[in-house]
Amino acid sequence: MSLSPHVSHAASRIAQAVVVVLLAYTATFLIINVLPGDPISNMLLDPDNGFTPEEIAPIIAYYGLDRPVPEQLWTALSRFVVGDLGISLRSNLPVSGLVLDALPSTLTLAASALAVSLLLAFLIAYASQNLPPRLGQGLIRAIPSVSLAIPSFIVGIFLIQVFAFQFGLFRITSPDSFAATLFAAIALGLPVSAQIAEVLITNLDHEARQDYFAVARSRGLSRAALFGRHQLRPSSLPVVTMVALAVGELLGGSLITEAIFGRKGIGSLVQGAASTQDFPVLLAVVSLAAVVFVAVNLLADLIYPLLDPRLRRRQAARIPAPDAETLV
Amino acid sequence: MATFPAAQALPFRDAWAGARRVPTAVILSFAVVFIVVAWSLLPDLFTHHDAYVGDTSQKLLPPSARYWFGTDHLGRDLFTRVVHGTWASVTSAAMAVAVGLVAGGLMGLLAGFLGGWTDTVVARLVDVLLAIPNFLLAVVIVSSFGFETTNIAIATGVSSVAAFARLMRSEVLRTSTSVFVEASGLLGGSRWHILLRHVLPNSSRSVLALAVLQFGTSILIIAGLAFLGYGDPPPAADWGLLVASGKDYPSSPWLVFAPAGVIVVTVLAINRISRWIRHAH
Repeated sequence: MSLSPHVSHAASRIAQAVVVVLLAYTATFLIINVLPGDPISNMLLDPDNGFTPEEIAPIIAYYGLDRPVPEQLWTALSRFVVGDLGISLRSNLPVSGLVLDALPSTLTLAASALAVSLLLAFLIAYASQNLPPRLGQGLIRAIPSVSLAIPSFIVGIFLIQVFAFQFGLFRITSPDSFAATLFAAIALGLPVSAQIAEVLITNLDHEARQDYFAVARSRGLSRAALFGRHQLRPSSLPVVTMVALAVGELLGGSLITEAIFGRKGIGSLVQGAASTQDFPVLLAVVSLAAVVFVAVNLLADLIYPLLDPRLRRRQAARIPAPDAETLV
Repeated sequence: MATFPAAQALPFRDAWAGARRVPTAVILSFAVVFIVVAWSLLPDLFTHHDAYVGDTSQKLLPPSARYWFGTDHLGRDLFTRVVHGTWASVTSAAMAVAVGLVAGGLMGLLAGFLGGWTDTVVARLVDVLLAIPNFLLAVVIVSSFGFETTNIAIATGVSSVAAFARLMRSEVLRTSTSVFVEASGLLGGSRWHILLRHVLPNSSRSVLALAVLQFGTSILIIAGLAFLGYGDPPPAADWGLLVASGKDYPSSPWLVFAPAGVIVVTVLAINRISRWIRHAH
C-alpha cells in the first residue's frame, strides 16, 4: 500500500486548518471592530480611563486606527501570522509575553482536568457494564446525565466549601498546590467526563450486542479479556475525537474554574481583559485557542486511521470516513 | 438480493401511541418545566415577600417554613429572589435558542438544500465557529457589546449556531435523498414545495430535540456568564448572579446551593424532555 493517499489527505487537512485559524482571527477581529463602531478608540477616548493624548497617539498609529477597517485587519493579520500578538492597551506589555506567563498554569489545569475526566469516564463506563444490575447499575448509568446538568461553577464552590473549608484538604490561599489543582481539575473535568462516559456506555452496550462478542464469550474468554479486547477497544475510538473536541471546552471553562479557585492563568487573563476592554489581549487569546483547537483536532483526525484498521481500509477504498458527529 | 427498510409508522399514530406511555420521569420533567414557566410569568402568585427590600433583622437565616430557601445578607427571602429571577434566566435562554435556531437552522437548510459553493461557505463558517471555544466567543461578544443580560443571551445563541447548522444540514441531506422526496419531484413538485412540505417537517423532530437541549445548555452558559459578572448588575436577580453573590458567604451555604439546586433540577428536566423527544418512537 502506498503512503500517498494518506499524505495528500494530511496536506489538504493542514491547509484547511490554516484557513480556519485565519478566518477565526478575522471573525473575532470583526466582532470587536466593526459591529459597535470602534471600541478601541472609544475605550481610549473615554475620559474615565485616563489616557492622555500623548499616550493615545502611538497606540492609534500602531494599530492603524485612523485607517479603514480592512487595512487595520490586514495589519493585524500580517502581524499575527509572524507571531506578533500586539501590545496590551492596559499594561503596555507585549501580549505574547502576558499569554506565555499565563499559559503554564492553565495547561497544567487543563491537562489534569483531562486526566481526571478520562479516569472518571472509564471508571463509570466499567461499572456500567460489570456491576451486577442490582448493585446500583442504574444509579451509575444516571451519573453522566446528572452531571451534565450541573454548572461547573457550582461544582467548584461545592468542592471548596466541603474539602477546603470543612475538611481542610487544601487552602484556597495557595491555589497552585497539588491538592488545590486536583480539585480545580475535578471541577473543570466533570462535564467533559460526563460527555465521554455517556458515549462510552452507549458504545459498550452496542458492542455487547454484537455477534463477535457472543462468539468471544462462547470461546470461554475471561470477563476482563472480554471487556478489554472486545468491548472497550472498539468503543474507545470515538473518545479520541471527543477529547479533541473537549479542548475548547476546557479552555473556555478555565475562565470560571480559575475565577473560583483564585488561579492566575489564561482564564483570569481573559477575565481581566474583558473587564478593562483590553481588546488586543482578547483577540490574541481567542485566536490562540482556535490554533490549539484546530491543531488538536487535526492531530486526532490524522491519528484516527492509525488506531482504527477498519478506517484505514475504507480510506484506501476512497469511501469517505464518518465524521465526528455520527460517531459521537 | 435487495432488502427493503421496514415500513415506518405514520407520524400521527406514532405520536398518539407514544403519548399514552410517557415515562414517569418525563411527566415529572414536564411538571418541573411547567412550574418554572409559571414562576417566570406570575412570580407574585408563589411568594408574598419582597424581592428587593429585605428585613435586616432577619438576615442570613437558614431555610425554614417561613423562608424556604433562607434569607440573604440583606434579609431578603431567597426563594422570592429565585422566583423573581426566573424570568431573566428563562427569557435569555429562550432568546439564545431563538438566535441559534434561526441563524443556524437557516444556514444548515441553505447549505444542505442548495449545495455547491453555499455548502462550502457554510461549512467553513461552521468550522470557524467550532474552532473558537463557545465560552470565549461569548466573552468577546459581551465585552465588545457591553455587559448586559441581553448581550449574554445573544452571545450564547451565536455560540450554538454551529450545532444547529450542522444538524439541519445533515437532516436536509438525509431527507433529500429519500424516496418520497424523489417521488414528489417526479410528480412535479417545485424545489420550494419539497423543502417546505417534505424536508422541513421531516427534520423537525431532531431539530426540536436539539433546541430543547440547547435551552438547558443555554441556562447553564448564561448562568456561568452571569456568575462571572457579565450580565445585568445587582439588584437584578437571575440565577447565576444569585449563586455569585451567595458564594461570598461561605457560612450560609444555602445562598449558593438553593439557587444552584433550582438550576440543576430545571436543566435535568429539560435534558430529559429533549432525550424523550429524540428517542420517542
